[in-house]
Amino acid sequence: MRFKLIKTSNYITYKSIIVEPQVRDFFSGRIWTRNHTPFPQEKIEKYIERGYFKLRSAISIKNTSFGPFKRKRYICNRCHNSNQQEFIEFDCAKCESKCVYCRHCINMGRMSSCTELILWKGPKPKQKRNKVLDWAGQFTELQQKAANELIQSLEQNRNHLVHAVCGAGKTEILFPAVHYALNRGNRVCIATPRTDVVLELFPRFQKVFPNTTIHALYGGSPQQPGFAELVITTTHQLYRFENAFDVVIVDEADAFPYTFDESLQKAVIKARKPNAPTVFVTATPSAKILNRTKKENWGVSFIPRRFHGHPLPVPRFQSLWNYNKPFEKGSIPPKLLQWTKQRLQNKEPFLIFFPTIQLMKTAITLFENIHPNILSVYAEDADRKEKVMKLRNEEIPGLLTTTILERGVTIKNVQVAVVGAESKIFTSSALIQISGRVGRNVNFPQGDIVYFHHGITTEMDEARNEIMRLNKMGFGSSG
Amino acid sequence: MKKEIYNCLLCGTPLNENVTWKSLLGSDYPDTICSDCEGELEPVTESDSHEIISLYQYNDKMKDYLHRYKFMHDVILAKVFRNQIRKHLYKRRETIVPIPIHPEKLKERTFAHIDELLKAADLSFKQYLEKITTETQGEKSRDERLNTPQLFKLKQNVDMKNKEILLVDDIITTGTTIQHAKNLLIQEGAKSVKAFTLIRG
Ligand SMILES: [Zn+2]
Ligand SMILES: [Zn+2]
Ligand SMILES: [Zn+2]
Repeated sequence: MRFKLIKTSNYITYKSIIVEPQVRDFFSGRIWTRNHTPFPQEKIEKYIERGYFKLRSAISIKNTSFGPFKRKRYICNRCHNSNQQEFIEFDCAKCESKCVYCRHCINMGRMSSCTELILWKGPKPKQKRNKVLDWAGQFTELQQKAANELIQSLEQNRNHLVHAVCGAGKTEILFPAVHYALNRGNRVCIATPRTDVVLELFPRFQKVFPNTTIHALYGGSPQQPGFAELVITTTHQLYRFENAFDVVIVDEADAFPYTFDESLQKAVIKARKPNAPTVFVTATPSAKILNRTKKENWGVSFIPRRFHGHPLPVPRFQSLWNYNKPFEKGSIPPKLLQWTKQRLQNKEPFLIFFPTIQLMKTAITLFENIHPNILSVYAEDADRKEKVMKLRNEEIPGLLTTTILERGVTIKNVQVAVVGAESKIFTSSALIQISGRVGRNVNFPQGDIVYFHHGITTEMDEARNEIMRLNKMGFGSSG
Repeated sequence: MKKEIYNCLLCGTPLNENVTWKSLLGSDYPDTICSDCEGELEPVTESDSHEIISLYQYNDKMKDYLHRYKFMHDVILAKVFRNQIRKHLYKRRETIVPIPIHPEKLKERTFAHIDELLKAADLSFKQYLEKITTETQGEKSRDERLNTPQLFKLKQNVDMKNKEILLVDDIITTGTTIQHAKNLLIQEGAKSVKAFTLIRG
């Protein structure tokens, strides 16, 4: 009794604070700016004072010597950028000395020498291993095989590439593997370069993982409560994690403009725990990634067929010489006009891709004249989600778009045209993705995909050849 | 900030390393932005007065520039207009006086954006003025702006008598800021006060 009392009083006088779950849940695995947290500053300072956070300057200096050459190298502790070109020295009025900032991640708020980062080192949230996968869908044989192979790779703790054509049902293939990892007590991350894909994946995972806490993170995403066992995020937001995930899945790894470059690799490596397996999912793997699968002995799954069993629609080329001129003069080039009218007449939803916002803005006023409900979307468009929804719900006949809708968007019976397919922005992988929007629905497995161009590029040829090659692999003929 | 710039500071495309026609014509500094970005800027062609000179119109490109420079704190963007600013100012005989920001605001922003523009163009200037309010003009209505009592004061021990002054600011919209500074300087005995801004709103 006496002993117990002492214990109790010990507990009371222990110079600690009771850790609030909200603070613990938010900061676990995150690397955050000391002065810009979602909590009151006094609270954060109290936790720092009691040693619950590790502190780190946002920019580190590494002195390297290479033979007789000694030099200073800067490293950004948020994005792990070490490209010296992207570090800028300036006279800082805040710290009143020479300061350095990182341009690489400046869009997320500037990191400079006098910015302090905090990392949680307090107690970790406990993860329950009772996660339910509520999905009654049917796998095709190829999907089942891929799903099994993926779990095998996780069991063996090795990286894995899922190479699947657009419309192969890639997301579903991930369900069993994510379920397996969660019930192993893992914290799982699905990262994708595009906000649209995050917005598309989030509700689908919420639906099939009803008792898992899932957060969707993108620029401007709302604050979400609890500890996320599954995080669906843009690759940019990955910068805000460190040593956090047991499994990282990179979806659409090669989406423009974030090809699987060095900085994205660094972000993935930083966000995952050491040696945590990484899964790459893509329809258009780069030669580099294919090489790595061999060199580093990754697991590989290849699905050349769509889940509904029909071949990929093959793009056709249609010349549209000097298309800029008619647009500027206030008319839609005749072939494109005819194509659009055909869609309207057939009541088929359509997407028309433009190489630049500028051209699209010129075009939209002309398209409005043929049908007042034709809308346009681009990256900074605040109503982007709603407009895509309207097309899906058949409230509007068609959308003009920049490349932002090249992936992640599924619209029943959609017909697709690319204007200016010869433009630099339409790489073969972008064109393959765009073509992959067509014929995804089992009831409408075909559809028109046309590249309107001012000259055929190798990228266009490559895209068409790759699509025909995949059809051959999936069906044994050029389909 | 001495290192060379290889990529456009606004869009990141590699800059042409060849000697451009501009550097042949004797521009002081190498380019920092690409010709595409340059093309999106709208230079002011005719000016309303000799009293106030502005270089560019406020358009989407400029809006983006100001946002990144002033609010995202990308200090290196001070270099983007160094050639144009230098060309317009280095022969002026007036004393250049940048419009200041409030010391509190300066700590927050970490740099004085007008001073940096001038430094990037290697122009000397005098910090004669001190900002006395922390509010910004943009947050106020036109009426409020016109009726603001006083935005600036003269720094201690500065003698304005017979001085010719050229005020420098980033953007001019209603002209209230410049007018306030001008009134004060004239009151204090300045002989003439003219103004130069990067942007005309
Ligand atoms: Zn500093
Ligand atoms: Zn950085
Ligand atoms: Zn540029």
